[in-house]
Order: sequence, then C-alpha cells, then structure tokens
Amino acid sequence: MPEQAIKDKTAIVGIGWTPFTRQSGVRTLTLAAQASLMAINDAGLQVQDIDGVVSYFHKRPETQEVRDLARALGLKKCNFQFYSDGGGGWNCGAVLAGAMLVHSGVCKNVLVFKAQNRYSEGRAARAERAHDVSGADQFTVPFGAHHAAASFGPHATAHMARYGTTSLDFAHLAVTERSHAMLNKKAMMRKPMTIAEHQSSRWIIYPFRLFDCCQETDGAVALVITSAERARDGKHAPVYVMAGIGGSGQTAGLWETNGVNAAPLLYEGAGITPRDVSIAEIYDPFTFMCMVHIEDFGLVKKGEIGPWVSAGHNRLDGVVPVNTHGGLLSEGHIAGLNHFIEAVQQLRPEGVVDDLCEGPHTYDRATCRQVRSPEVALVCGEGGGSAMLLRKA
Amino acid sequence: MTAYAKPLPQPDLDTQPYWEACKGHELRAQRCNNCGEFRWPPQAFCPECYAWEFTWTKLSRTGMVYSFVVVHYAAVASFQPDLPYVIAHIAIDGTNERVRLVSNVIDCPWQEVRVGMPVRVVFDDVTAEVTLAKFRPL
Repeated sequence: MPEQAIKDKTAIVGIGWTPFTRQSGVRTLTLAAQASLMAINDAGLQVQDIDGVVSYFHKRPETQEVRDLARALGLKKCNFQFYSDGGGGWNCGAVLAGAMLVHSGVCKNVLVFKAQNRYSEGRAARAERAHDVSGADQFTVPFGAHHAAASFGPHATAHMARYGTTSLDFAHLAVTERSHAMLNKKAMMRKPMTIAEHQSSRWIIYPFRLFDCCQETDGAVALVITSAERARDGKHAPVYVMAGIGGSGQTAGLWETNGVNAAPLLYEGAGITPRDVSIAEIYDPFTFMCMVHIEDFGLVKKGEIGPWVSAGHNRLDGVVPVNTHGGLLSEGHIAGLNHFIEAVQQLRPEGVVDDLCEGPHTYDRATCRQVRSPEVALVCGEGGGSAMLLRKA
Repeated sequence: MTAYAKPLPQPDLDTQPYWEACKGHELRAQRCNNCGEFRWPPQAFCPECYAWEFTWTKLSRTGMVYSFVVVHYAAVASFQPDLPYVIAHIAIDGTNERVRLVSNVIDCPWQEVRVGMPVRVVFDDVTAEVTLAKFRPL
C-alpha cells in the first residue's frame, strides 16, 4: 500500500463546540449552527466560504440533518452535502469525506458537524424499542437486547475469556479518563473517581458497571477543512490530515474490531507506524471498547491492554496519552466528533484552551492537560469503522 | 392470560422461514447449495460464493455459548421482572460457527454462565403466532 494521495493536502483549520449538557433547551438545528458558526469564525472564514457540509447518524436520522443546516446557514452555493448512516463508527469517515471533497476540488471549505439532543430525547428513542421490531433488531430486541451495552458487552466478555482482561482493568481506564476530564472545563463529569468507586458501582449490563458506560449528551461540535495551501492563511496553525479510512469489514471474532483491518491501511497511507503516534483520541462508549481499539490500532500488543492501562501508559505523561479530554466516558458523547476537537487543540502550537491553566501551559497535572509536544494524533470511531491520523504543522 | 407485553419480531421476506421453523419447534438456517456454507442472518444469496440457490436446513438443537452479557438494567419496562437475565451469542453445533443466534440462556444462575458452555434449545411459545428459541445448559 502506497501513501494516500491526500496525505498532507488538506487541514483542519477551524473548530467549534456548544456546552455539553443534559438539557440543551434548544433544537438540534440551533446547536448545529452554534458550533458551526464558532468553527467558521475560528477558521477565519465567512459563512459563504463554506461550500460543502457533512454529518452522520446512527440507525435513523435522530440528529440534525445536513440539508436543514445548509438552509439555515443561508448557504448560497453548496457543492456537496452528505449525511452518512455510519453512526459512531463514522466520526473519522465524516472528516475524511471532507478532506476528499477538498482534495478533489469539488469543494473549497467543508463544514463537518454533529449535533444532537441525545440525553433529553434519549428516553423517547428508548421507548420506541418497546415495540415490535424488524430488520436486524428482530433477532435481538425480542430477547431483551435494547441497550448499546448489550451489543458491545459480548465483545468484552469474549476478550475477557480469551485474554484474561478484567473489570479491574476497565476501572483503570475509567479513572484515567476521569482524571483528564477534571482538567477540561467543557467535560460533563469532573468529579474525581477512584478504582474502588468504579468497582463498587452497580452492574448495568455485565461485564459493564455504571462507570464503564459513557453518558448521553446534548450538544454539538463542528470543524472546517480546507486545502493545505489555503490553510496557511488561517487564523490558527493548520492541523494536517495525513491519512484516513472509513468502512468496515469482517473480523475473526468478537475479541477484535475492524481496527485490525483498518490499522495497516491507515499507517501505510500516512507513511508512519504506530510508534509515531503521540496521542490517541479513541472511541470509548464503554471502557472496554476504548481498550480493544487501542490494541487493534497497534498501540499495544493484542491481549495486553489490561496491564497497559493498569500501568497508566494512557495518562497525559504516559507512553501514548489516550482521550486527553476525558473521552465519551467523561467529557461527553458527541458521537466521537468531539475527539477531533481535542486532537486539533492538542496539535495547535498554543495547545488546549479549555483546561485549568491560566497563561502558558505548565504541564502540572493539577491544572494542565496539554500533552508535551505531540506531533501525531490517532483518532478512531466505533469498532474501528473509521480512523484518521493528523499531524501538527 | 395477560397479553404478551414484550417486543415481537416482524419477519420479512428473507427471515419468515426461520420464524416459521421456530413455531414448529425446529431451528433452521439457509445453507448454500453451491458451497455448502451456512449463513446468518438470512439473506437471498450466499456471502461466500454469491450463489442464489439455498436450502432451509434443519440445525442441531445444541450449541455453545460464544459470548454473553447479563442485563441488570431494563431499558424497556416489560423486561423489568426478568432482571437479571442473560443474553448470549449461541454458536449452533454443526454450522462451522456461522449460525450464531442472539438469545437468552435460561434455567441457570447468571453467575454460572461461561463462554464455551454447551446449551440446548428450548422453544418458548410466547404468543399463538411467535415462538422464541431460547437455550438452557445441557
């Protein structure tokens, strides 16, 4: 596999977000616009400079549709709109679509966003699962599998049986991510968590306890992608797209994800190896899913993730800091597009702007969550359904 | 008898024969007439060799717990009385692990369920029209 033709040809130049809450009190369209206008402004662009819009949804378009945002923003000319059904697996796919649109010349500046009232509208969505079910759900829901933990739990159980991974390993990951969220002003969960608190939290769906599960979130994030050439004139230093992948294949068993298929293509596409990754913002709806993704993207040998997280190698000063914002588990669940906001912030020369540092970054872990000089960030979506490598300018 | 309150499957053109077989207290799945592989879930053609001819073949009544979870929190109220209950992926014997059904393991304390545990099908006629294939330890 040669390097991807898009390597370093496009860059993320603007990022925006709304507060992450349990009750936004506004429509998803309002959330989407708020995050998008912030991202466009952050890029130093005008709204009419945007000529492509991309988003994604899970199962049914419960989140904000693309065409409605394009209309609400009053875009006079939009060359491409795309709303993918890839769900949380597609955070990087959406950004890759933006990069490809720019590199192909179809669009100049693409807006990628995700907006949802997933907490406040979640109850209604769950109530629908009480009714008769068709499609793939006909083989699961009648047996009481309604919750995402019932879909992903079997992956964890299979990994535990095969490699000896334990709930205590999960606890270490949850506690580390919480410690990162405590340094993040926009994180929903900023109370300290201990291993004992994790281990005594109630079972939701075994092998997942309460503190193995992320929360649902009302909120939106957005980013703007442009060409590497135009990116040089931006307000901020560009963060370059090295390579990306967005699709899903087969795996040998539940103990691995599509990450095993995606990783070689991704690293070869960028011309680097997993050893070059400085930080990783990894899809983590459940503790275990983050762990299996870390393995499948080659940051640790298969089956050895338990000891790796228990040794703290995923901490801010660890071997590869993971989910430096607190992840879906502790920052909030904006379908993993929030992971890009963090990766871009970490890779900008000024670093993150929403930790507890006042003035320059101190690297004192009581206040500062900026990683020391990260060069390359890995981002991945649910099940390794998409992934991307970004690098600093 | 009170009405069955839980969600029921809505079969489609591809899946109808599976649910019909369950109603007759049999497990059946499609087997490709060309390459002989079983497939799951049901679909009109073989994902291995793309042949369109298949036979709804009777399966073994036994299988193995391939993986599982234990539900302690009911997202849907009608399952509340069953808590905690086990949802397992059951690899049906003789299908080369191609047919892996999601179902409940019943008549077994949840703490005793293990990956690799052998199980046998039990047919639960939940309504006059619908039968669910569940499993209990061998």
